[in-house]
Amino acid sequence: MAHQKKNRNVGIIGIGQTKHSSHREDVNQPELIHEAVSLALKDANLTMKDIDCVVHGNMELFEMVHSPDLWHVLGTGAYGKDSIRITTGGTVGATLSCASDNLVASGMYDIVMAIGFEKLQEGHTTGGITNMACPLWFRKIQAGALTGSSAYDVEREFGLERADRASLMYRIIMDKHASLNPNAHRAFGLDFSQIDDLIRTSPKLVGELKLIEMCSQSDGACCVIYACEKKAKELSKIPVWIRDHITVHKEENFTIFGYDRKYPVLKTHKFAAEQLFKRNGINDPLNYFDVFEMYDPATWWAIDWIRDFFNLQGDEHLRLIEEKEIMIGGKMPINPSGGVIGSNPIGATALVRVAEAALQVRGNAGPHQIPTPVNHALASGFGGTMWTVMTMLEKELNW
Amino acid sequence: MAEYWGVKVEDIFNTMKDRFRPEGAKDVDAVFGYDIAGEGKWKLTVKNNAMTLEKADQLSGCIATMSADGETFVGVNTGKVDATNAFMSGKFKVEGDMGAFGKTGKLFRKFVLAKKEMTTKEYLADMFATIVPRFKAREAEGLEASFGFDLGGPDGGKWTVFIKDKVCTVTETIEGKPTVTLEFNDARDYVDFILGKIDAQSILAAGKASAKGDINMMASKWPILFEKYKDPMAGAVQEQELLVLKKTISLNEKFSTGPIMGKFLKGLKEKKIFANRCPECGRLQLPPREVCAECRVRAGEFVEVGPKGEVRYMDVVYYAMPDPLTGVARETPYGSIFIRLDGCKGNETLPHFIRKDQIEKIQRGWNEKKGTRVRPVWEEKRIGDIWDIKYFEIDE
Amino acid sequence: MGKRLAVCAVAQIKNHPDYHDWRFQNMLLECFEPIVEETKVTFDMDKGIRTIITCSDDMFDARTISDNGITDVVGAHFRGEEKMAQESINGLGYAMACILSGHDDVILFMGHCKESQGESRRMISNLAYDPFYCRPLGMDYHNVDALQARAYMEKSKVTDEHLAKVVVRSRANGKKNPYGRENKIVSEKDVLNSPMYSDPLREMHIYPVTDWAYGMLLCSEKRAKEFTKKPVWITGYGSCMDRYFLGDRDIASNFSLKNAAKRAYAMAGIKDPRKDVQVFELSDQAAHQLPMWAEGVGIAEEGRGGQWIDDGGMERFNVNLSGGQLNGNPLLLGGAARALECYYQLSGQAGKRQVKGAKRAVAQAATGGAGQHQAVIVMEA
Repeated sequence: MAHQKKNRNVGIIGIGQTKHSSHREDVNQPELIHEAVSLALKDANLTMKDIDCVVHGNMELFEMVHSPDLWHVLGTGAYGKDSIRITTGGTVGATLSCASDNLVASGMYDIVMAIGFEKLQEGHTTGGITNMACPLWFRKIQAGALTGSSAYDVEREFGLERADRASLMYRIIMDKHASLNPNAHRAFGLDFSQIDDLIRTSPKLVGELKLIEMCSQSDGACCVIYACEKKAKELSKIPVWIRDHITVHKEENFTIFGYDRKYPVLKTHKFAAEQLFKRNGINDPLNYFDVFEMYDPATWWAIDWIRDFFNLQGDEHLRLIEEKEIMIGGKMPINPSGGVIGSNPIGATALVRVAEAALQVRGNAGPHQIPTPVNHALASGFGGTMWTVMTMLEKELNW
Repeated sequence: MAEYWGVKVEDIFNTMKDRFRPEGAKDVDAVFGYDIAGEGKWKLTVKNNAMTLEKADQLSGCIATMSADGETFVGVNTGKVDATNAFMSGKFKVEGDMGAFGKTGKLFRKFVLAKKEMTTKEYLADMFATIVPRFKAREAEGLEASFGFDLGGPDGGKWTVFIKDKVCTVTETIEGKPTVTLEFNDARDYVDFILGKIDAQSILAAGKASAKGDINMMASKWPILFEKYKDPMAGAVQEQELLVLKKTISLNEKFSTGPIMGKFLKGLKEKKIFANRCPECGRLQLPPREVCAECRVRAGEFVEVGPKGEVRYMDVVYYAMPDPLTGVARETPYGSIFIRLDGCKGNETLPHFIRKDQIEKIQRGWNEKKGTRVRPVWEEKRIGDIWDIKYFEIDE
Repeated sequence: MGKRLAVCAVAQIKNHPDYHDWRFQNMLLECFEPIVEETKVTFDMDKGIRTIITCSDDMFDARTISDNGITDVVGAHFRGEEKMAQESINGLGYAMACILSGHDDVILFMGHCKESQGESRRMISNLAYDPFYCRPLGMDYHNVDALQARAYMEKSKVTDEHLAKVVVRSRANGKKNPYGRENKIVSEKDVLNSPMYSDPLREMHIYPVTDWAYGMLLCSEKRAKEFTKKPVWITGYGSCMDRYFLGDRDIASNFSLKNAAKRAYAMAGIKDPRKDVQVFELSDQAAHQLPMWAEGVGIAEEGRGGQWIDDGGMERFNVNLSGGQLNGNPLLLGGAARALECYYQLSGQAGKRQVKGAKRAVAQAATGGAGQHQAVIVMEA
């Protein structure tokens, strides 16, 4: 049996996130979580009494806390509730959203709260990421999530100059978006006039990947509340409906560095998008969606994945960037929030994508709200060895 | 010379000698340049655990030069500006050898803002300058009043605060006949009173101050009409010290290698590199894995490949990455290469490192262009570990 | 969709003190292959497995994202995979949600843990506590369980002799379980004379270090007949979280377990577990937890755990015929081991341990010290 319509509809009715920052020495982990939980409850006009189940996730080795939901109950409010802890990689936030959708749609719970969290300043992020590799082999070689391979690919295909300029153009657009988002971690106030200067002066991390092009390491938490259709309509004036989601993982080895055209590499992002859009009857995603919150850990990956997600040909993806069509006000606004490149509390990051996409659908995202109506929104997550999760959000229940 | 947070650019440079840490200057032998827009250029020479600093017209011969405007430079040095933000946004730039410049961080103790006292005169100026911004117009509906201040002593002065049509203005005299006038014998008492160091009762009781006119109106209205004055010096002291617990957590592990990875590692001992083949799609896996993920079947057959091969991809790593198994930072830059060993095809590559001095010479390969040929350099004593291959080097 | 979740096939390797010749990938593969072979399930995007749920732990694997290293051996390459980072029993609850929501109709559920890999599992459970207060005090699951044992034994008149009985019985039952860890058969006297571990818990009162892996094929009501002639059903699930600080909790109260059981029973329509359920599998990480959890799931009277053992409660209610977690299952996987035993019992494959006419079974497991988080599932033939 192919994918089917779900048992009952699920809507997002509450959203809360902390200010993402590298200076949250003023709170411990449960306190940071509590900030997001309080904001989400306030947003939904609910109290913990209304919540049936709490879903928690992050990555244990970043903060070195085992089964952290046990300690974090001080901040999550899960005391006396059903609660589940479910994780994936950087995708974990998106997985929490999928899990919450499943838990509510199943009829087992009416209102579920998802909490994604990370306090990256409490550990060594790149070391933590490298720990994902096999200790017998690749752990001794890997350098966290840092690689210049996407930069190399774009440069080989479109030339160094155009590639570098597109990358910085993307970066500055994200910075301009982040400047409008009070929760964003890094908002430098960059301007397009700095492109050449930054290409020259930003230090290289790996290959052509420059410091300015890589995401930050943030502390932050995000909380989203999901309700069944009946409750969502009762409790919220503007519920945002979850239409569908898909998760696609990939084997442990990267197996992409052969650069042999006779052996095309199946790409997870492309595969996920094709499957999701096919089963939902969406032929032209670029036109269908009004906004896209994409997990963009670095500019180069962002460039590559825009092409994969929307199945673009030739240099269409580059032109979307160069012509600023991905900016607020453009044809396909990407990351009005400033994206992952602006804020990256890893365990929360992919949930922030869903939350920000939902805020856009609600139309009350704040200064970074896009000016045109948002009826259909897309969010993506990224983690592991090119794992992805995609989530489709809708304003109306008319699909 | 402009001041930022009460500090001049020159203050930072002039204190360098006192802040210099010889223990941080071991192995440093270099000249660093500082170019502060509109302020000048400085050359810092560090040699033999000592430093000299000079103003210069040009900065040739420097291993690295940093440039910024005065505000950013002072801000970063005093902690008023987030260094990462300044650096990432290009307000604080370094040209030349970035790694070498990084060492300057250890050369000096932190610049500490000298705690400055505000004088009575400065306080009075600040208190009356902030009257208008602290005024809450919505509370002044229908109110027309004036408040006179006659503050004596060497630092004193006279002020009148007018409120009419929900607008507040301040003059530096006493004009006409204010609704109420406060007279203080010594302006210092007024400052202490506003800062909450002494209370009104004791000043009045001691005859140090008096009021003319409708004092009750002032007592009841003033606290509503104006935000409380905030002492600018109060912010300099942190309310609560935030403690951070530092701890290194390590767990001892023994990782089994299993029959597949084990065979591969054992092979290295004998200078052999084994891949394993998927019985369905035929792809080779390096290092070998239990199954072929694509076909979901066991991949049992081992094939010896290499040991020579062609570089298909290389990442030059500049970021000082700590090895997660040892905690020691890898020396940078290093070249992380993906080698297609002889006998492999497509994406069947093996990751390892290239000899350090050969990074520049490596050509990455693809269908139309061959990559640099490389060969493994083996350790004398091999134990069945990936470092049995020290690194790969160009096969000439 | 539907109302219940079908268990179509299960596979496991024997619980073992140290699979030193296998990576955990090998352990999983031994469970993956028989399931695929037995059920002929595929990974087709329309008709096959689209979603895999795994259970493992980053700390025990010493890997960030412990599920990353096993994508291939659980068939998850280019499919969805989500990791239950909690007691595996919750993976069954979550799988139920995936199926009943309609998002999935076939799910592979696999888990692994190599407790033998790390030098000390106590160092890992110490890391479950906050770094400021409880961690420096040296709290870990074993000595927190010991605090609970002290409080509970006092409350329910459970003695050292009772615990010895529990241990002896667990090892005897474990012997009858072909997948049970090989432990020495001991007498009550041996247990009573065994060294104190964390007073009042003796070494033999605590489950031994164990490596294990399992797999289960789960699907919707509609599709069950494609994979098995005799599915076993999961019809109820409930969980509950207690407070964190021990001082805030009554650790002898079974607060979270009673709630979890109540929720699972309500979902499955169980009114009186003593009458409606024939098999109970409880995750007794320490011996005192067997009578304590028995009180929690409602088959022993509150505060009378000792008397319940004396009255033959363990036999009357068919508790832990598998040997229980006390005989040896790794942390986080006790719940899956309990569910597997229930599956064997309900499908008539329990061999020497078979309870005749078993129609309903309850599996329970806890996450955290002194059972901070509890979950219960109800299974039916």
